[in-house]
Amino acid sequence: MNRKALTCLILAAAMFPLYGCPKKKPQTPVQDLNVDTTTVQPTAPAAPATDVPEPVAPKVDDQIEDRLLSADLQVVNDELRRRGFAPDVYFQYDEATLSDETRDHLSRNADLLKGAPQLVLIIEGHADERGTNEYNLALGERRANAAKDYLASLGVADGRLRTLSYGEERPVCTESEESCWAQNRRAHMVVTGRSNG
Amino acid sequence: MTTRRFAAFSLPLLVLLGSALIRAQSPTPPPPPAAATPAPPSQPSEVTLELSRNQKAKIRLAIPKYAAAGFSGAGSAAGTELETTVRRDLDFSGYFEIQGPEQLAALNVSGDLLRDRDVYRSAGNDVLLAGDLREEQGKVVFEGRLFDLKSGQSILAKRYRGSFATARRIGHTFADEVIRYLTGGAGFALSEIAYVSERGKIKEIWLMDYDGGNPRPLTGHRSTSMSPAWDHAGDGVAYTSFVNGPPGVYFAEVASGKKRPLITSGSLNISPSYAPDGGRIAFSRSVGGNIEIFSSDAGGGNLRRLTQSAAIDTNPAWSPKGGTIAFTSSRAGNPQIYLMDEEGASQRRLTFEGSYNDGASWSPDGSEVAYATRRDGRFQIAVTNIVSQETRVITAGPGENESPTFSPDGRKIAFTSRRSGTKQIYVMDAADGANVRQVTTAGSNDMADWSRPK
Repeated sequence: MNRKALTCLILAAAMFPLYGCPKKKPQTPVQDLNVDTTTVQPTAPAAPATDVPEPVAPKVDDQIEDRLLSADLQVVNDELRRRGFAPDVYFQYDEATLSDETRDHLSRNADLLKGAPQLVLIIEGHADERGTNEYNLALGERRANAAKDYLASLGVADGRLRTLSYGEERPVCTESEESCWAQNRRAHMVVTGRSNG
Repeated sequence: MTTRRFAAFSLPLLVLLGSALIRAQSPTPPPPPAAATPAPPSQPSEVTLELSRNQKAKIRLAIPKYAAAGFSGAGSAAGTELETTVRRDLDFSGYFEIQGPEQLAALNVSGDLLRDRDVYRSAGNDVLLAGDLREEQGKVVFEGRLFDLKSGQSILAKRYRGSFATARRIGHTFADEVIRYLTGGAGFALSEIAYVSERGKIKEIWLMDYDGGNPRPLTGHRSTSMSPAWDHAGDGVAYTSFVNGPPGVYFAEVASGKKRPLITSGSLNISPSYAPDGGRIAFSRSVGGNIEIFSSDAGGGNLRRLTQSAAIDTNPAWSPKGGTIAFTSSRAGNPQIYLMDEEGASQRRLTFEGSYNDGASWSPDGSEVAYATRRDGRFQIAVTNIVSQETRVITAGPGENESPTFSPDGRKIAFTSRRSGTKQIYVMDAADGANVRQVTTAGSNDMADWSRPK
């Protein structure tokens, strides 16, 4: 398993107890965060909620950097949330415009990101199940980019922000009802690494 | 391929067999009944003519149980499958009113076709389909014949030979021959549908016969793959996949199963559609977060941008005759179907009813597009004539009906519905949504793309 995949697994284990759908467990949390590699298959078991690995003390071998990086990202994402970072912002049906509340959340996110300029963020765009899969992929892309553009407008360097649309393919909640759909119409933000610059 | 060769080989047979075939059928050929007058040569085409005058008039076809000989266990199953396939194909084509063995059981027939034809006629049949199945050297051999019951003439005779595994294909091939002969139109019994099958949270591209038979996976990415689009020749399928992270356009060759990326640069490339000559592919692509329609060459290079709106422009569908691309745009506030030429000029709105119209699919003659439309909060299949803009909604009720695709002859539409609980693919009449038949059952199935006319 490569470094990023491992990062994702541990990250997923850490994140989902707090940010999963309250009614149902997310279906594929590992895949959800696996934005950069094909080695983690969708059939990889979901990280158990009770099985959050503690940060591992570095060992003196080739694994040092991997484990350190993984542990760091988990801590970073935890720490960001503790300071008020909103990992999800939500949208109205068939809309990619940012509400005032969403702008407030993103503004706080931007402040935190500017305070940690080495961090790189992935912004996933999601849609609810209504409408066609193709259109929802486009809608997810616009939502992710709406969040990205607003963060950039507040001074977060564009190069630190990457987008990925999942459309309706990765719902956090799978009931066919509005309370569930509302949770799926979101841009999801996760720190995935550090910039080299 | 085997069956094709035999189909071609059997053409001279048709000439040879002719009316002599009837006599060959019975050990002691009786003289023609006194009432029988020699059939004018135009007899078969009169059947065709009658049909074209009134599309509603169906050809009344008798199909007695096939004669069978020499079968072992496996061969017998293949024979039954072949017989069932022909019957189902002809039945579903909509051209025929069929009396099968069950309806014909009450008739007092001798087994001698010449003697029996008046019996079949008096039961209301115009044409008789006689099948002869036998097993020879581990292969199934099938002879199918059509008799005009009025004249007593054999009007079509075909012979096929193939392994047991080809039974369905032989049946489809003969059914299309029957349809071509009696209606003058090309059938679609040999056509295939590419679709998305979701099993265990994984979406792969699959292929199946048009009737749901012979389902088989085309991709094995163990990821999310969707939006299959046949290429112009039917040799391969372009599709959208998340297999390498961001959604990109890939291609799978059907014969070899080989996959290759087509358009994967940037954050999002989705929804491919081939030009009728295969030279270019239309798709949607993210430009700084805005989705626009592009076209590329067949290898995914030489990108051209076709739309320039600040709204979502997506889901292109290249017209079957070329020249026009249908697509979805939210430039007027919600998703609607638009048309433009291949270079992006002359963009005009096609749909005005309903607050959500998406997923255009062309009829093979290029006169209509089918799409999903939201009416009263539910998704239904609608068809709009691109000239008159006349629209008909051909599904009703719950079930979220989406993702229509026309049959190669334009008379049917396959679509996705959740009416049974899970998403499954159904086929219905394009004219009015009648004669609905479910063609998938295993897993969750969506996004059918029917192969193009050959």
